[in-house]
Amino acid sequence: MTSLVSARGVTKKFGSFTAVDNVSFDIERGKILGLIGPNGAGKTTLLKALLGLTDCEGQLSVMGLDPFKQRKKLMQNICFIADVAVLPRWIRVSQLLDYVEAIHPNFSRKRAEELLQQTKIMANSKVKELSKGMVTQLHLSIIMSIDAKLLVLDEPTLGLDIIFRKEFYANLLNDYFDEERTILVTTHQVEEVENLLTDIMFINDGRILLDSPMETLADTYTEVAVSAGDADSARGLGPIAEGQMFGKSVMLFEGVSREHLEGLGDLRTPSVADLFVAKVKGARS
Amino acid sequence: MITHQLALVKREIWEHRSIYVTPLAIATIVTLGVLAGLMFASGFTAELDIAIFGAQNLAGDPERKAALTVFFLGTSWIFIVAIAILTIFYCLDSLYAERKDKSILFWRSLPVTDAETVVSKLLTAIVVIPVVMVLGIIVTHLVNLIVVSIWVSMKGGDGGMLIWGSISLLDNWLAAFIVVIASGIWMSPFVGWFLLVSAYTKRSPLLMAFMPLILIGLLEGIIFRSHVFADNVLARGDGLPLFRIGDIERFFDEDRWRIADDATSLLVHLDVVQFLTSPAMWAGVLVCGLLSTGAVYVRRFRDES
Repeated sequence: MTSLVSARGVTKKFGSFTAVDNVSFDIERGKILGLIGPNGAGKTTLLKALLGLTDCEGQLSVMGLDPFKQRKKLMQNICFIADVAVLPRWIRVSQLLDYVEAIHPNFSRKRAEELLQQTKIMANSKVKELSKGMVTQLHLSIIMSIDAKLLVLDEPTLGLDIIFRKEFYANLLNDYFDEERTILVTTHQVEEVENLLTDIMFINDGRILLDSPMETLADTYTEVAVSAGDADSARGLGPIAEGQMFGKSVMLFEGVSREHLEGLGDLRTPSVADLFVAKVKGARS
Repeated sequence: MITHQLALVKREIWEHRSIYVTPLAIATIVTLGVLAGLMFASGFTAELDIAIFGAQNLAGDPERKAALTVFFLGTSWIFIVAIAILTIFYCLDSLYAERKDKSILFWRSLPVTDAETVVSKLLTAIVVIPVVMVLGIIVTHLVNLIVVSIWVSMKGGDGGMLIWGSISLLDNWLAAFIVVIASGIWMSPFVGWFLLVSAYTKRSPLLMAFMPLILIGLLEGIIFRSHVFADNVLARGDGLPLFRIGDIERFFDEDRWRIADDATSLLVHLDVVQFLTSPAMWAGVLVCGLLSTGAVYVRRFRDES
């Protein structure tokens, strides 16, 4: 079976600045892929290319379509939350449902209304009367009522409080995700999503630093808290990052087997955040 | 395709409530004005010779017919001015506000092409706003004719015959419809230009739309000592090739109607064939098409990040 998304040598330049630099990857069906990168890494540009909102060089195919040239057809099977702020402020909830119902062939109004009944959002409210969290709930209710194959979330929980953020991801997993659907999410709050991801991709300066299933991260990356006496021999194994904690050196190894490391100290799988910092620093040095 | 356009146009009306609030406001103000006038006149009934509405006068009095026609034209003129102002602000806002509040990202996350979106704005400007305004004209006329005929009846005249019998309502409404729609098509290059500016500009769309037009006119005057641009573009509104009796200003000239004996139907003064065969009209439609296509491309290729 072909991939849902296939990118080969995708590049996007703005004048002399290269936002996305010769990137290649695949996304398979039924995955939840986290795209993690610092500000200005090229995440949003890459998403825009995937969504057909910007053109790019290289080969890019989403569900077998050219996103830029076949955006309308693509959008029947993709949903997209750009940011919490993008629902038009003047519109009423009922008008929004009317509009999406008329425009989108895969939208179930019944389901949207059921989802909205679980919230405090009223049908005759205007978007500008809702709190930021409620606007996100509204957007998510619409998105979850669209039978789409790919859901793209760009910083979906930015500016929301912790309760809304937890609810957002819980709803997404419980009420939306199944093996037929694929989710691509970018966020700064790595800790919140790492437990739900099946795959992860790091991007920095327009290049991909890591593209891996979550389950193989533990085989590839190991974090060791090394006592001062063993630090030199541990360094001999080539850690990709090193830090200090409670008088011990915490080193991160890539591709070194656990047998080699076991004698050096306590082993654990690094958090995605630590791995990300190590990778980005490594790429910069 | 048609259901998409209907949904898109509906969306425009939701967003721009002034499209239906403005005609309602004008209808209300005109009606209040007429009521105030009648109440004022009522104070003098004993002495006042109500020549115009003819409580005592004969049916078919040309003066009364002319007065009603002037009322028709006057109210229609208010609506036409309102259409012009409304359309300018609507067009300039239509592709600018969605970028300013970033809702463009939401609209573009749905399966609608940029061309469909721009076409819906074009349709709203050239068809929807004029049609809503013609409805406003009809409602204003109906309400006020009812008010006046009741007043005339209260004064002992036959309101039904004197007022309703002396004017060709349907003819005049059809004339209003033709004038309004033809004006929209005639001025469509401006609609295209405003849409393009609205899609393109980063700030002050009003300024960005009018500055270049005025500058070109001024520069032409200074450099070439001519005024081709001013005559053909800036003053395009004066040249609407629809009237048998000269230009639009002459058509709306009250004094002309006061003395005219052909005042009951405005329809006979319009020449639709002359309009439809006017090269300047078709050239305008072409320019509108080109400028709107430009707006589609700007919306499609511009990166908002």
